[in-house]
Amino acid sequence: MLEIKNLHVAVGGKEILKGLTLSIGEGEVHAIMGPNGSGKSTLSYVLAGREGYEITQGSISYRGGDLATMKTEDRAAKGVFLAMQYPVEIPGVTTLTFLKTALNAQRRARGDSELDAMSVLKLVRQRATALQVTEEMLKRALNVGFSGGEKKRLEILQMSLFEPKLAILDETDSGLDIDALKLVAEGVNALRAPERAMLVITHYQRLLNYIVPDRVHVLAGGRIVAEGGKELAHELEAKGYAHIVKEPA
Amino acid sequence: MNAALPSRDARRAEALESFRERGMPHRRFEHWRYSDLRAILDAGQVAQSGTAAWHLEKAPEGVETFDLGKPDAPDWVMRNLGTIGARPTMKEASLAFADGGIALRVPRGRKIAEPARLQISSTGNVRVLLVLEEETSLTLLETHTGDAGLLRNVGVEIALASQAKLSHVRFAASALKSISVEHIGVTQARGAQYRAHFANFGSRLSRTELHILLQEEDAEAHLSGVNVLGDEGHADLTSHIEHVAGNTRSTQLFKKVAGGHSRAVYQGKITVREGANGSDSRQTAKALLLGGRAEADLKPELIIFADDVKCAHGAAVGDLDPESLFYLRSRGVPEAEARHMLVRAFLEDAVAEIENEELRAAIWQDVEHALPHAMRAAR
Repeated sequence: MLEIKNLHVAVGGKEILKGLTLSIGEGEVHAIMGPNGSGKSTLSYVLAGREGYEITQGSISYRGGDLATMKTEDRAAKGVFLAMQYPVEIPGVTTLTFLKTALNAQRRARGDSELDAMSVLKLVRQRATALQVTEEMLKRALNVGFSGGEKKRLEILQMSLFEPKLAILDETDSGLDIDALKLVAEGVNALRAPERAMLVITHYQRLLNYIVPDRVHVLAGGRIVAEGGKELAHELEAKGYAHIVKEPA
Repeated sequence: MNAALPSRDARRAEALESFRERGMPHRRFEHWRYSDLRAILDAGQVAQSGTAAWHLEKAPEGVETFDLGKPDAPDWVMRNLGTIGARPTMKEASLAFADGGIALRVPRGRKIAEPARLQISSTGNVRVLLVLEEETSLTLLETHTGDAGLLRNVGVEIALASQAKLSHVRFAASALKSISVEHIGVTQARGAQYRAHFANFGSRLSRTELHILLQEEDAEAHLSGVNVLGDEGHADLTSHIEHVAGNTRSTQLFKKVAGGHSRAVYQGKITVREGANGSDSRQTAKALLLGGRAEADLKPELIIFADDVKCAHGAAVGDLDPESLFYLRSRGVPEAEARHMLVRAFLEDAVAEIENEELRAAIWQDVEHALPHAMRAAR
C-alpha cells in the first residue's frame, strides 16, 4: 500500500532524508525508530503533505497513486492520517465543530453524503467513550487547555472517526505517563485491521511494548540503517542507537 | 424650559464658530494620522451635505423620543445636547449643520428588553442623544446602511446615570465610495455600564471615535469590535477612555481582518486620572493581514497619573498560522475552507462580546457576507 523509494527530502534547502526506502503492506504495523534529528518527523510531514518539505529525489507510491503530487487535504480524504506529535491549539473553533467539518469534508471528497449534526454527535460519542474523551472536551476550543494526554487521545479519536487506510503516529508516546500511554495504545490497537496499515514513529521502545509492530526500521542520518522484527526494538533499548548506527565511513 | 440654559441656536452658532476656526482634521491633527480627511473633503462640502436621514423603527415601549429637528426641546434634551464628552471639530460640524436627529430617554427605573433600532441611511450630518436615567437598561442597534453619499457625519452623545446599562451595537455596511465619520461621547455615573460593539466593513474613509468618561466609582466600559475589510476599504476606530474616578473598569477587544488594499486602524488611549486608584483597564487589538497589500495600524496608549492601577495592553499584526492551516488540511478540510475557518476563529471572541443573541447572529451573517471580499487575492 505504501512504497517509498530512494526518498530525498530537503527542508529550507537542507537535505534531511537521504535515500529512504520503505515498503508497508495492508494490515501491517511498522515502527520507525531513530535518534533525535534522524528525520523521523520529516518523514511523517512529507507523507502528510506539509508545505516546505521538498522532495528532491525518489518517489512515494500510495495505493497505486503518486502521493507526492497530491494536495494535503486530498491525501486525508484518500485515507492518510497523521497523529501529530504536537497537535495544534485553535482558539475559536470548538472541538466538535472541527470534527464535524473534517469528517464531512472527507466524506464530500469521497462522494459520500454529509452527516447532519445529530449523526456526527452520535458517532463521536460512540467512539469517544473508550478513549475517555468527555463531552466537556468536545465543547472546548480545539486542543486549547488540553493536557498532553487529552491532546493525544483526541488525535486517536480522530483516527477512529476518519478510519484511515494509512495511519502515521508521530511520537504518540511523548509526554504521556504510563496510564495515559496504555489508554492511547489500547485505542490504537482497537483500530488494527486487515485493511489498515500503521507507521508508528518513536524514539523509545516503550510504546512498542503496547503497540507491537510487525517490522521495525531504524532511521539514522536520513536513511534506514537497520531492519528487523519486533525484537530489534528490544535490542535497541538494551544497547542504544550507537551500537547500530555506525558513523559513515 | 430652563432659562439658564443657552438656546439650541446659540449652541449651534458656537459649534459653527469652533468648526470654522479649527477646520478639517488632517494627518497631524487630533489623532487623525491614519485618516486624512482634509485630503479628500473640504469644509464647504461638510456644510453642503446637510442633514442625514434617520429612522427609528418603533421606539420600544417605555422609551421617550424627541425629534431634534422640532422646536421646543424638553429639558432633558436641553440639559445634555452639545455637552457630553470632547468636542472635536467634526462633532462641532455635526451640531452646526444637522437640522435634526434623534433623542431617546429611558426614564428612571425602566428596563427595556426590546432593542431600539436606529437606521441612518443617507448622506449628511446628524445628531443622536441618549439619556439613560438611574437604574435603567437599553439595547441600541445603530445600523448604517450602504450608500452614505459623499459624507455621513454623526455626533452621538450618551449620558448614563447611576446604575444605567446601555448595550450599543453599531453596524456599518461596506460603503467604498462614502466617507463616514462618527464621534461618540459617553459620560458614566456610579455603577453605570456601557457595552459597545463596532462591526465595520469598510468605507472609503471610516472614522469612529469614542470619548468615554468614567466619572464615578464602579462605572464600566466594555468595547469590542470587528472589521472585515477588502478592496480599498478603510476603518479607523479611535478611543479615549478616561478613568476619572477610582475603582472603574474598562476592557477593549478589537479584531481586524484586512485583505485587498484595505487599511484597519485602532488607536486606543487610556487615561487614568490622578487619584483614580483601583482602576482596571485592559485593551487588546489584533489584526490579521490577508495578503501583502493590506495595512493595519494598531496603537494602544496609556497615560497614568494614579498609583494603584492595573493596566494591560497588547497589539499584534499577523498572518494566518501555517501550523493551524496544515493541521486542518491534514484532516481533510480543503485549503479555502480551512482559511475561512481560521479567520472566523480569529474573530470569535470579539463577536462573542455581543450579549444579545439575535444581534450576535446578525453580525456573524454580515461577517460571512464580507469575508469573500477580504479573502480575495489583492490585484
